[in-house]
Amino acid sequence: MKTACSLLAGLVLLSSHAGAVADTSQGAQLAATCASCHGLDGGDKGIPAIMGLDEQKIIAAMLAYKANERPNHVMHAIALSLSDEELASVARYLADHERDGNPP
Amino acid sequence: MKAWTRRQFGGMAGATLLAAINPRIARSDTKARVVVIGGGAGGATVARYLASSTETIAVTLVEPKRRYITCFFSNLYLAGLRPLESLSHGYETLAQHYGITVIHEPAAAIDPVAKTVGLGGGAQLPYDRLVLAPGIAFKFGGIDGYDEAAAQVMPHAWNAGPQSELLRRQLESMEDGGVFVLVVPPDPFRCPPAPYERASLVAYYFKQFKPKSKILILDAKDSFKAQDLFEDAWARHYPGMIEWLPDQFTGGVMGVDVKARSVLTAGDTFKAAVANVIPAQTAGDLARQAGLADESGWCPVDPVTFESTLQPGIHLVGDAIIGGDMPKSAFSANSQAKACAFAIAAALTGSEHFAPHLFNSCYTFFSPDDAFSNAINFKPEDGKLKAVNTFVSKLDESPETRRNTAQQAVGWYAAFTRDVFG
Repeated sequence: MKTACSLLAGLVLLSSHAGAVADTSQGAQLAATCASCHGLDGGDKGIPAIMGLDEQKIIAAMLAYKANERPNHVMHAIALSLSDEELASVARYLADHERDGNPP
Repeated sequence: MKAWTRRQFGGMAGATLLAAINPRIARSDTKARVVVIGGGAGGATVARYLASSTETIAVTLVEPKRRYITCFFSNLYLAGLRPLESLSHGYETLAQHYGITVIHEPAAAIDPVAKTVGLGGGAQLPYDRLVLAPGIAFKFGGIDGYDEAAAQVMPHAWNAGPQSELLRRQLESMEDGGVFVLVVPPDPFRCPPAPYERASLVAYYFKQFKPKSKILILDAKDSFKAQDLFEDAWARHYPGMIEWLPDQFTGGVMGVDVKARSVLTAGDTFKAAVANVIPAQTAGDLARQAGLADESGWCPVDPVTFESTLQPGIHLVGDAIIGGDMPKSAFSANSQAKACAFAIAAALTGSEHFAPHLFNSCYTFFSPDDAFSNAINFKPEDGKLKAVNTFVSKLDESPETRRNTAQQAVGWYAAFTRDVFG
């Protein structure tokens, strides 16, 4: 039974890595907004790449944008739209994900 | 009740195992089907996010064109600052990497009762949910004498591609000292700042190659967004070159004389060396034919799911919808498309659906190294999309800030088109 379970777990892992990663978590849905401007596969011409950044650094940066201590009106508008819970969720998502180029 | 035999059970276990290895293939006969019509910024984004948010939905994208040329950034092409090829995007990644079935045929008809889409070639595509991202159609007839044939002489260039190439050729062959007449349509139309960006970038081209030329903007409106920013930039970069005439001054554009290449207003005739006539707009043809538009000519939708309020099971995103405070822009379409994709995934698979974050940001060029941006967040309220916070570049920004904005715009284009087309 133990063997069957680990086999099944292995298959589930395998399937989640086949092709695009299926993810409809709150973090993924919010990170979709980031992908409109930030190259999530590591391209950072003019606009920095943000996948894989440290979670706390993302939160600190976003709070600075929200308070307009870091002037950038695009990021100011984005930061204002996020609740604390949403910000934590998207920061965790971005920190946890590799730059794979797939939609969040 | 059916009695399971050992053999049937074994067969099912095998199928389940196969599904775990490759769910996309194994479950194809039981997958929910979503058909997306229109492969622009809205439609391609819906298809891409649906295909990657769940493996239990089969996504088909119907788009007659093999390559999509973006309207956004096409003013840079008109000014000679970017080749048209750099604005051209294919659907190969969506098909190969995301498993989307891409069909390059026009959609001819929608049967909302049978839930099928009839293709130009005669085939019928069944769907569980349908998404339309048909963009705009032109209301020919609003300007006397201006029709599709006239657009071959006096291009609108409000769909990028052959129309953009025609306008570029005309600008290149124009003699120095000519007048470029730009006719701006009434609201609402695709990309509100774009006519004024076009005037700015054509002026940039004239300043280098045809400095005696003039630009005359005949506007159907009496004011426009970010007017102070544009007028400041025009005075700094192109003094005396651009003249803007509001509706209250001209009485409105009444007609065109294609042979004479002139534009007729209520009181005057303006002779053009090159005329760029942008007609009034309405939702794309298929949306109107399918009864998805109201008397305004645009399509009402639920602002959370982007499902039509006129026809259940059919969603719309992009320029064709009544977007409330959201402007008709590629960015808006992309933002709406994500909300729509997650809502459809939730409806068909039971995945969790969170409050959508809707956003628009537009980069607009005055010259290659002087650009401004705006940023607006929206929320659904009382069935409409309401702007919550609006920010626009300031008049007194330093040249360095404007240069940075222009660089960000280029980075944005690269990231954005990856987000749309993969």
